[in-house]
Amino acid sequence: MQNVLSILFCLSLFYLAVTSRVKAYVSVLRFQGILLTVLLVFPFINHFSVYAFILPATLFVVKVILIPRYINKIILDLDIKRMIEPSIQPFTFQLLVIFSMIVIFVASNILSKSTSIETIPFASGFSAIAVGIFVIIFRKKLIIHVAGFLVLENGIFLFGTAVASELPMMIEIGTLLDVFVVVFLMGIAMNKISSTLSGFDVTALGRLKD
Amino acid sequence: MFEFSVLILIPLLSAGVCYYLKNFRLQYSISLFVSAIHLLLSLVIFIGWYKTDLPFFFSTDSLSKLFLLVLSNIYFWVVLVSFSYLKRPVTPNSEEGKKYYFLLLNFYLFANTAAILSNHYGMYWVAAEGTTLSVAPLIYYYRNEEALEAMWKYLFLVSIGIAFAFIGILFLTLSAKGTPLEGQQLFFSEFVKNARTLNPVWLKASFIFIFVGLSTKIGIAPMHSADVDATSNSPSPIAALMSGSLRITALLGVMRIFQIVQPTSTYEFAKTILIIGGLLSLLFAFIFMFKVNNYKRMLAYSSIEHLGIITLGIGIGGLAFVGAMYHIIYNSLNKVVLFFTAGNIHYKYKTREVDGVSSVLNILPWSGWLLLISFLAISAIPPFGIFFSELMIFEGMLFSDKPWILAVTMFLLLFIFINMGKTLFQMLYRKNENENLPVEKERFGIIHFATIVLLILLIAIAVASPNILHENIVNISKDFGIKL
Amino acid sequence: MIQGIISILIILLLAPMFAGLVNKLKAIFTGRIGAPTIQPYYDLKRLLRKETINADSSSFISAISPVINFVSVVIAAAMLPIGLARPVISFEGDIILFAYVLGLARFFQILAAMDIGSSFEGMGAARETTFAVFAEPIFFFTLGSIAFMSGLTSIYDIYHSIRLDNVTYIIFIIVCSTSAFILAVTECSRMPVDDPNTHLELTMIHEVMILDNSGIDLFLYQYSSYIKLFIYAILETSFFYPFGVKSYTVGIIIFVVVIAVLSITLAVVETITSRFKMKNIPQYLLFATAIGILNLLIYTFTK
Repeated sequence: MQNVLSILFCLSLFYLAVTSRVKAYVSVLRFQGILLTVLLVFPFINHFSVYAFILPATLFVVKVILIPRYINKIILDLDIKRMIEPSIQPFTFQLLVIFSMIVIFVASNILSKSTSIETIPFASGFSAIAVGIFVIIFRKKLIIHVAGFLVLENGIFLFGTAVASELPMMIEIGTLLDVFVVVFLMGIAMNKISSTLSGFDVTALGRLKD
Repeated sequence: MFEFSVLILIPLLSAGVCYYLKNFRLQYSISLFVSAIHLLLSLVIFIGWYKTDLPFFFSTDSLSKLFLLVLSNIYFWVVLVSFSYLKRPVTPNSEEGKKYYFLLLNFYLFANTAAILSNHYGMYWVAAEGTTLSVAPLIYYYRNEEALEAMWKYLFLVSIGIAFAFIGILFLTLSAKGTPLEGQQLFFSEFVKNARTLNPVWLKASFIFIFVGLSTKIGIAPMHSADVDATSNSPSPIAALMSGSLRITALLGVMRIFQIVQPTSTYEFAKTILIIGGLLSLLFAFIFMFKVNNYKRMLAYSSIEHLGIITLGIGIGGLAFVGAMYHIIYNSLNKVVLFFTAGNIHYKYKTREVDGVSSVLNILPWSGWLLLISFLAISAIPPFGIFFSELMIFEGMLFSDKPWILAVTMFLLLFIFINMGKTLFQMLYRKNENENLPVEKERFGIIHFATIVLLILLIAIAVASPNILHENIVNISKDFGIKL
Repeated sequence: MIQGIISILIILLLAPMFAGLVNKLKAIFTGRIGAPTIQPYYDLKRLLRKETINADSSSFISAISPVINFVSVVIAAAMLPIGLARPVISFEGDIILFAYVLGLARFFQILAAMDIGSSFEGMGAARETTFAVFAEPIFFFTLGSIAFMSGLTSIYDIYHSIRLDNVTYIIFIIVCSTSAFILAVTECSRMPVDDPNTHLELTMIHEVMILDNSGIDLFLYQYSSYIKLFIYAILETSFFYPFGVKSYTVGIIIFVVVIAVLSITLAVVETITSRFKMKNIPQYLLFATAIGILNLLIYTFTK
């Protein structure tokens, strides 16, 4: 089951690489949030405990409801244009994603020989980290950067469930990364970094340099 | 429990109090009081008059004692000068920033102390995240576009770095699979004890991720850019705080994993990585010193340079390691001095460009001379402490198996010194063309007082070389398995 | 063998019907009455009565290529199982033959388009080749990954070997059918890639190549394009056989159901999507390839 969810996760990453709409990013984030929630709930279906449901419930509320809503609200309030403004050919971007994914899968397969790890969730999580970083590097809009950071964070989650399943505290601590996301979003909202001043992309963030 | 409440709970409490107090002077007095008792207690703990017994995920060892002292010392002086600094009228928007200044400062102390005292990687990580979050709004103190950009870049890059460090920590749990540590909490001390059993592949991955992730915060090249922007655009006390203590806290995380790696087969690899990081930082500082025309940026690059030297020293080991520990102390003191004086100059000339600043020695005699002296100090002129620590690091390099590093370092440092000197002397001695600067005698203020005390401290520690400090550093070296 | 012959006959007879069905459904979804479902048969019949005229500048290529095109497509059709029956042509490695017989058909069509010497046909040929380059990996990564899993190289055997022992397999099937769907859409010039209904030369890909054909030649081209669409539909349905019992009747029922569902899906997709910009098409195709690669990776590493 973990494998199935991870594969769906990878598919959502491919979709992220293809799409060029801001809204699509939000729905992908929502979808990934649902996947992660299911992933965390799944082991507890047989032996139910209230404590075990706290983390998935928080995750669901934060990742599926609150953050996507907040992003949508910001998009509406600041009148953000719907295109993501890539700084690289979409085709090249996709090739990059595919290539890095292949490398990650092969590498994690090699690594799984020395330690017993769940290869698929491990590799999918790592691919999400890579894709998140690519999104941050190759997109200009700040709100998309935040989305990229969220993808990276989701990847860390998936990866954490594959790695540290016997140490739930580490996964719980990982949710604190969401604090950063909220701070970013608040920064965007409060400073009204909107496209009116052409200040919404990193090309405008060029004053500080040597 | 007493030391826990003083070191960690009281700063948090005072942050809460600062939120409700509207009176600025009151906020200042409370923060100063908290920082004073914090400094006092960390000094007492450092000397060893008080045996600590911290609950939960906290504990002290020689390393954290040293770092705690460095932090609370820097913090105390920063808080001390903050009031006089904040009284200065700057941009109208920064009134907004003043409201939360002491709140965030107190929160910073809380988070940073927690990070230094933590004995648990999860705890350290959370606390390090807290320091970033508390410092970011302080960078945005001036509320202008440059400050916004600097804050955004810093927050974003560092949060990615923090995420990377988290991956590194997950790798660390992975490396413990199949050892007695499997499924255990991530206590440093336990990991150091059982380090030999860890899986080397994952340990290597863990080291790389933690190092790269935290190097955004330490300011090690090539991840240094956001750090430079943040340090050069924040108000001077904050810049001093970042250079003097925040970077050191991040370095602590790297040193912890380095300590774990030390008895394993990954050690050589980790050393190489640290040496590469250090040399790269020096190289970047060397290159940018040629073209930098903003004196606060120049100081930020100087921070990169010195953190690079420290990393290099840790990576080389032996005597260089001891030198690096001393260098941490001296560098943090010296950076505070430099940023304080630079802040005075910025206030007077209203510009960070070197071209707009001239004849500082005549217009601002106190700050000018102090800047000159602290520049000499940072360039390792005796009798200032940095001279001795760098000497130790150089000696360690010379007798290590890679003596060529010494030649490279010397070459880079020479040019950094020349370029820095050229810029600073221009600022200090060039004839004043700017007629409309109000010429009035500079009054001796609390900032000058703090600067002088710190400079004296810088000489005193080096000359007197207190035994307790030496012992502590020797203990740290023992923890890191270094034979002297 | 009998069942195989029945299969090929079904394909030849029902292929235009399928295209008609999709068009009819599409018309209904957009609120029109639409042409009757058997309209493609009327079209084909009309074309049969027309005279064949070739351009003066054309060589023998234009004369032979419709026939070659048609024959290759029929050969490809003869390799596909319907309702779990062994097809007429089935041997080890026929998956490669299948891909390249279709490739041959396309090759001659492109040659013929360029042979005429009209600039429009040349443009269409160029586009067709460009997208074919991106479409071919999809086929090999999708069917190839299944072939790789089963260790077999005959289409019939491959489909027979699919089992639903674990959940991962279901995901495989879903994922594979998604990318096969994209492949079908591309190869048959359907909606998000190409609009079969417009006759605007600037945006056409496939249709523009047969602008100058008429009569029997056009009949062969049209007929083979109907068959091609049906072939890909069958390719898609074959993924769903393991859901039922392995008997011929059940297989046929599954076949009918899936074909019906597929025609509805095609119609819905064509209704709700608009044609992509030409420069976005490679991206779309790469997406399907990526899915295939992912399949392959996952399979390799879970074994």
